[in-house]
Amino acid sequence: MNNNTYMCILRSKPGACSQPSPSDMELMFAKYRTWQDKFSDNIVDMGNKLGDVGAVVRQDGVNDGPFIELKEIIGGYMTITATSLDEAVAVIKESPMVANSGVSIEIREIMTP
Amino acid sequence: MNQYATIEHTFRHEYGQLVASILRRVGAHHIDAVEDAVQYSLMQAVDLWCRQGTPDNPSAWLYLVAYRKFLTELRDIRLRENLLAQQSPLADEYVTDYAEIPLLDEMNDSFLRMLFVACNDAIPVESQMVFTLKSLCGFSIREIALRLFTSEANVYKRFSRARQYLVKNTVPLNVLSDADIKTRLPMVHRVLYLVFTEGYLSSHCDKAIRIDLCEEAIHLTQLLSESTMGKVAETFALLALMYLHLARMNTRQDDSGALLLLEQQDRSQWDQPLIAAGLGFLKQSTRGDNLSRYHIEAGILAEHCLAPTFKQTRWDQIVASYELLERIAPSPLHCLNRAVAMAEWKGPKEGLAVLQFVDIPDWLARSYYWHAVQADLFYRCGEKTLACNSAGKAIQAAPTADIKCLLHKRLAKCGLSP
Repeated sequence: MNNNTYMCILRSKPGACSQPSPSDMELMFAKYRTWQDKFSDNIVDMGNKLGDVGAVVRQDGVNDGPFIELKEIIGGYMTITATSLDEAVAVIKESPMVANSGVSIEIREIMTP
Repeated sequence: MNQYATIEHTFRHEYGQLVASILRRVGAHHIDAVEDAVQYSLMQAVDLWCRQGTPDNPSAWLYLVAYRKFLTELRDIRLRENLLAQQSPLADEYVTDYAEIPLLDEMNDSFLRMLFVACNDAIPVESQMVFTLKSLCGFSIREIALRLFTSEANVYKRFSRARQYLVKNTVPLNVLSDADIKTRLPMVHRVLYLVFTEGYLSSHCDKAIRIDLCEEAIHLTQLLSESTMGKVAETFALLALMYLHLARMNTRQDDSGALLLLEQQDRSQWDQPLIAAGLGFLKQSTRGDNLSRYHIEAGILAEHCLAPTFKQTRWDQIVASYELLERIAPSPLHCLNRAVAMAEWKGPKEGLAVLQFVDIPDWLARSYYWHAVQADLFYRCGEKTLACNSAGKAIQAAPTADIKCLLHKRLAKCGLSP
């Protein structure tokens, strides 16, 4: 029974990503599909990508993004369910997203009362 | 139809069809913007299809996304060029709606038309091939460099030659006349043949990489053979040749990856369904008056495929075919092949005699083929010193470690050393 929900936050280092060829893309797509099939019980929402322009609002003002001072950019999010953080980690570890160098995925449990 | 046709290269094939279909609509001089737009649409597809599932008609989806991206980019370019977007005729010129998405037949037709545009005397043949591989087959520059054993810079240079031609000469894809098609068909055949042989003769260690150029050439030739533009005897002869080669592809190397000679190949491992398909195409290719080099080459391959053993091969037929081939498509390489066949038919002395009266161009005299064949024939005539001499030269000239290894083995078997 998967009773915990986890938010997965995808971060990547900006730039330095060469254009994938159609074959690369086909392979990537196939890997995603395989992963999604394998963990269809865990994947709640494939989420979305986040745009690279944004803003940060603070008490003392608003800063425009993108946040170039950060070494990593938050590029997207998704939600999965799992019985434990360990299982959530196992699911994400197998995802094709982590195969890209410079990508890290933070997994946080969504707390419900 | 066969094991090779079922391997999917959906994205690569979509790439070429989309590029050609959009170019047909907007003009081949937009090649850069169109390729960028198609690249973009495929990347969007990977991302969105994973999240939302694959749409009902993936090709239409890709076409629409690519086409819209192209329009946006073009508008931006024109804006940058200080043209007012509102006044530009662009909006009306390329107005789009869903109903205008081309059907598969139309996409295939555009694709072949683009092939005829690229295979053109005004472009060097090497560039025709690279353009075909990149823009129509969807290989990246890096992937092409890997397959053609050359640098990315070199591939890019070849691609640019073709690209420049398309940009400078606004070539409308719709107005290819029947006469254009007729004169360019041999050039299309030549490029398809080149793509195939690059794959077939490649000694790349990765089998998948060797075979995918062959598959690609077969895919294109098959498409051509099903179209009104290319449904001619030569196209079927070319298909026959490709199938009959491919049928023996798996036996060209032993388990360790070392190359094997025809005599050593395990004939029971030849792919019989592919041979049958190849012979079927060869039969279809006889429905015409024209006898092309592809007919003869496919005929020679058929002799090999049908021979129960190396010894029982009809070498006399093969000698005659090479003679014919020399007349139709003169090349000293055919003569060399004839010498080899002659040696099997009448003996090594007659084989050597074939070579005596040939004008050997420099490139051939320096190649390992030439020396290896001479070494073999000398050895079989009992001329050990001459044989050793030639064998040494062959090994020195061999382009890859695999071929050097094959030659060394052959020498050792004869008790010779270079």
